[in-house]
Amino acid sequence: MSEKQKLTNQEQTKITRAIIKAAVLMLEFGAESTLIENTAQRLGLALGVDSVEVSLIPSAIVLSTLSNKQSQSVTTTRRAHHKPINMSIVCDLQKMCQDLEKYKYDVDFVLKTMKEIQPNYYNRWLVVFMVGFSCASFAYLNKADWQAFGITFLASSLAMFVRQELSRKKFIMIITFGVTAFVATLTASIALIFNLSSTPNIALSSSVMLLAPGFPFINSVLDALKGYLAMGWGRWLQAVLLTVATSIGIILAFTLLSLKGW
Amino acid sequence: MSEILIQYLLNAIFAAIPALGFGMVFNVPRYTLIYCAIGGAITFSTRYILMDFDIPIELATFLASTTIGIIALYWSRKYKVPRPIYTIASIIPLIPGTYAFTAMINLIDMNAHGVTPELIVMFVDNALKAIIILAGIGFGLALPSLYYIRYNRPIT
Repeated sequence: MSEKQKLTNQEQTKITRAIIKAAVLMLEFGAESTLIENTAQRLGLALGVDSVEVSLIPSAIVLSTLSNKQSQSVTTTRRAHHKPINMSIVCDLQKMCQDLEKYKYDVDFVLKTMKEIQPNYYNRWLVVFMVGFSCASFAYLNKADWQAFGITFLASSLAMFVRQELSRKKFIMIITFGVTAFVATLTASIALIFNLSSTPNIALSSSVMLLAPGFPFINSVLDALKGYLAMGWGRWLQAVLLTVATSIGIILAFTLLSLKGW
Repeated sequence: MSEILIQYLLNAIFAAIPALGFGMVFNVPRYTLIYCAIGGAITFSTRYILMDFDIPIELATFLASTTIGIIALYWSRKYKVPRPIYTIASIIPLIPGTYAFTAMINLIDMNAHGVTPELIVMFVDNALKAIIILAGIGFGLALPSLYYIRYNRPIT
């Protein structure tokens, strides 16, 4: 590190901007807190600042970089708006960090790469089919009969289609989850109404499994256990809110059909 | 004997499909999809085998998710990909969806048709199972990576 020349304030601000942009992207698309902090620090070291300190809260990031023997400090804050989970973006950012360390690129490379990152979307009909099949597999694993298997497949494929349509119109996740759960329950309840299956309850419960908020729940536990308590609470609440939205959708469907349990 | 084996194999396949499907929902990179599927099969089969040895479902879930946590630690080092990509898709088949759903329906019933002791018993039974299984999944996944965290700053 001896050949490191002095950074001007302007250069350091540019580096800080690049680092916090990467950190905000990772937070928005659902990365773990340890990963965000590690990546920010590794990016900082690779770009030539002495150290990077990150303070994470669920809705924002505060980030400071220190340089010139810890004598010059730049701090900046960004708001994070949570978006649907997208792991390919997180992966791309991590790969960018590794490339940066390996080939000693400069800050322009980071800014350019982040501008060009594209989410790796799968073919939407493939996803609809696979999610329908997944939920049907849940029904199978919970020992449903084949009629319930088919109905679950139908209900959750339709629900996934609705979910994709709502996500495309950029509705917030709470509305998306509620409406999707409503559609899924409404479709799956044909098993109960027309007595098509001997295990209608499994069809009903499996068809809303596509809304299980796995990422927020697991991330909240991981964050909390690794010492990011505020992030743990935030993600916990996010997961609970999504679950409540799902429940409201199910309850509305039940009330509409005036089913009583089973 | 072969019937049992076929049952295991079918379960493994039907556990791999949800892991794959949810991997697509989370938009994981293409080359990790196959590991998500394998992970789902491993996790569910582990739990199934453990439950065949009369281990209660909560403990079996915890051990199964610890197993996938350790395996994913190895995978993520080998392919330089964040660990949650593998683990979260893999534990999807373990999620206690039916228990949670039954508990919720019981709540609705209690509100609509009056509270009865049977409903309370059913609600507490299902909700407890769901919560403990969820906690088992979370702690099981976190455990392997906590092993590597040390207080490396000397306290003086």
